[in-house]
Amino acid sequence: MQVKKTNYLVNRTPTFEVLTQEEIEAIYYAALTVLSETGVRVYNKEGYELLGAHGATVEDREENSALVKLPPEMVDIALSTLPRKVVIYGADHEKYKMELFKNQIYFGAGSDTPFTIDPYTAERRRATYKDVKNFARLAQALPNLDFHMSLGIVQDTAVGTYDRWQYLAMLEGTSKPINITAVDKDGLKDQLEMAYIRVGGEKEWLKTPIFSLYIEPVSPLSHSVEVIDKLLFCADHRIPFVYTPCPLAGATAPATLAGTAVQALTESLLGIVLSQLRRPGTPLIIGGLMSAMDMRTAVYSYGSPEMALLSAAYTQITKWLGVPEYETAGCSDAKMYDEQAAMEATMNIAAAALVGGNMIHDVGYLEQGLTSSAEMMVAADEIIDMVKRILRGIPVDDDSKALNVINDIGPGGHYLAHDHTFDRFKDVIWQPKLLDRQNYEGWQATGSKTHRQRVNERVREILDREEEPLLDEKMFKELKRICELADEKYKDQELDLDMFG
Amino acid sequence: MSEILSTISTLVIEGNFGEMVDKTNAALEEGLGAEEILNNGLMPGMDHVGVEFKAGNMFVPEVLRSAKAMQEAMEIIRPMLIESDAPTAGKVVLGTVKGDLHDIGKNLVGMMCEGAGFEIIDLGKDVEPEAFVNAVKEHKPNILGMSALLTTTMRTMERTIKALEEAGVRDTVKVMIGGAPVTQDFASQIGADGYAANAASASEMAKRFAG
Repeated sequence: MQVKKTNYLVNRTPTFEVLTQEEIEAIYYAALTVLSETGVRVYNKEGYELLGAHGATVEDREENSALVKLPPEMVDIALSTLPRKVVIYGADHEKYKMELFKNQIYFGAGSDTPFTIDPYTAERRRATYKDVKNFARLAQALPNLDFHMSLGIVQDTAVGTYDRWQYLAMLEGTSKPINITAVDKDGLKDQLEMAYIRVGGEKEWLKTPIFSLYIEPVSPLSHSVEVIDKLLFCADHRIPFVYTPCPLAGATAPATLAGTAVQALTESLLGIVLSQLRRPGTPLIIGGLMSAMDMRTAVYSYGSPEMALLSAAYTQITKWLGVPEYETAGCSDAKMYDEQAAMEATMNIAAAALVGGNMIHDVGYLEQGLTSSAEMMVAADEIIDMVKRILRGIPVDDDSKALNVINDIGPGGHYLAHDHTFDRFKDVIWQPKLLDRQNYEGWQATGSKTHRQRVNERVREILDREEEPLLDEKMFKELKRICELADEKYKDQELDLDMFG
Repeated sequence: MSEILSTISTLVIEGNFGEMVDKTNAALEEGLGAEEILNNGLMPGMDHVGVEFKAGNMFVPEVLRSAKAMQEAMEIIRPMLIESDAPTAGKVVLGTVKGDLHDIGKNLVGMMCEGAGFEIIDLGKDVEPEAFVNAVKEHKPNILGMSALLTTTMRTMERTIKALEEAGVRDTVKVMIGGAPVTQDFASQIGADGYAANAASASEMAKRFAG
């Protein structure tokens, strides 16, 4: 493991490396072996037949699935048409866009937690439409969050159509790029309609796509019917998508981290091949969500050093492959925003940024990804800011070496009043907003508040603000209509369940 | 306690499944009954494992080894226990519900219950309500366990319970559910008998229900 500076004349970014070039290649070629010899199970006829028609061996057919083995050349062909750079816009596309390639880093929230912590009552409860809208408003307000995901499953609407409501709630709260989830192909279709309305039609969408779709194959080596349906739909409609398995070292992947990386890459490569077969040039981003099972509690640990290490390794592999990457940071196993949450988030945010992951998600996750926290999100914004300061590095040139200034001041003087200080201190010396650097008396005079209290106050300050709606009334109605029509269509399948009972 | 029973306990604790068949047969040859091997050899070993796991001194892969060791012995003595009408832990039918391929949690529950002496009928993943109903009719289990990771698929648990009612077999079985988005509230609401937050408490609950 090493931390070295590369290209510092170009981007001054310190980079963190956990694998050598040879190790990256060894993992990649091992994934090709798994893909061609062990194979993957595809629970989607259209999917495995498409693969079969282009050189894959389709065997062990069951009622709704088949084992598919892909020769390495199918991957080579797919990589030749795969976009090396993916751009996703915000609804306000003049202001917000992500250009995902190489060392470009963007941070954003996580998605679809069943629970959330109410910032006003500290209660852990199921997430609602209003929570999801509020998280989007926080994302809009926080400068270091570049894209957004829901941070809650909307559970006060119909279950089978919650994805549309979730997207509406996010569109109400933010005009930054959004990474959506979809229950199934129909859910995706409806949300695409909604995006067309938001950007002003299909033509505009093709120029500035305002969401990507999160798709998660199931480890080990399984691709469900919905996953493949969504992938094919994305390819057909030029929807950028994230294809990220979530293998768990020791449980749904080998305990050794290299083995977990091999398996995760195998799972992602299937997504690359299938998408490029369906439509060459389909933009995708591959993940980046790997951890080790906690062997005491059997949970998926979101604060583990293994997660940071695996994310870093995967980033290096994807850079070598030239594929935009999806990473994981800003998350923790703590049950509330506390010291543990801050420790784990600081560690994984620093690792993700230093390795140069592209689309770094899950900011705001607590409790192994089951609970979202506005406090975690707000605090992480400042952690990211601090880490970005480290990324800016120490430029070394005549101005920064400041020999003239040192000579001006000479032995025994001070630099506080010098123009050189006045002109540069704001760029060079990072200033916290939520961390307290007052002396004891100052801290006491401002209420002796803990970091947690200050973070909670900041959350409320943002949420209590009156804001101009991002959607005008007509557009909101049109968008809502799509959600309501979906509810109408699926109402027979709904159960009479009160999730808040 | 005879030496061989204490050896069997140790094999369980150490997860030494390789020697279990020989030692179980040796115990039988010594004239020990299946019930005695279960109650004074295997179970004390598993109880010790349970205590150590709770205390954080043993880890999941080690517990599963112990469960496997227990299972090796059970394969031999289960038919004898049934024949002699000795009380056994019982049967558990398990599955991940329709629409869901996430089965690591369900597999863990299966292995833990196996370690507690249950016979496991694992229906796998993406299991239709009808398949659960048929398994209940066929195997007459004490416990039906369902698992789901997704909020969309967890609704299928209620459908399965309704299907059990319609088939007239709901009262023959205790229904236990689990999975990341599942809570005790949800379990109560859909009329499940129990909710377990992890595999170890699932096996404890199964023991209570079957006892």
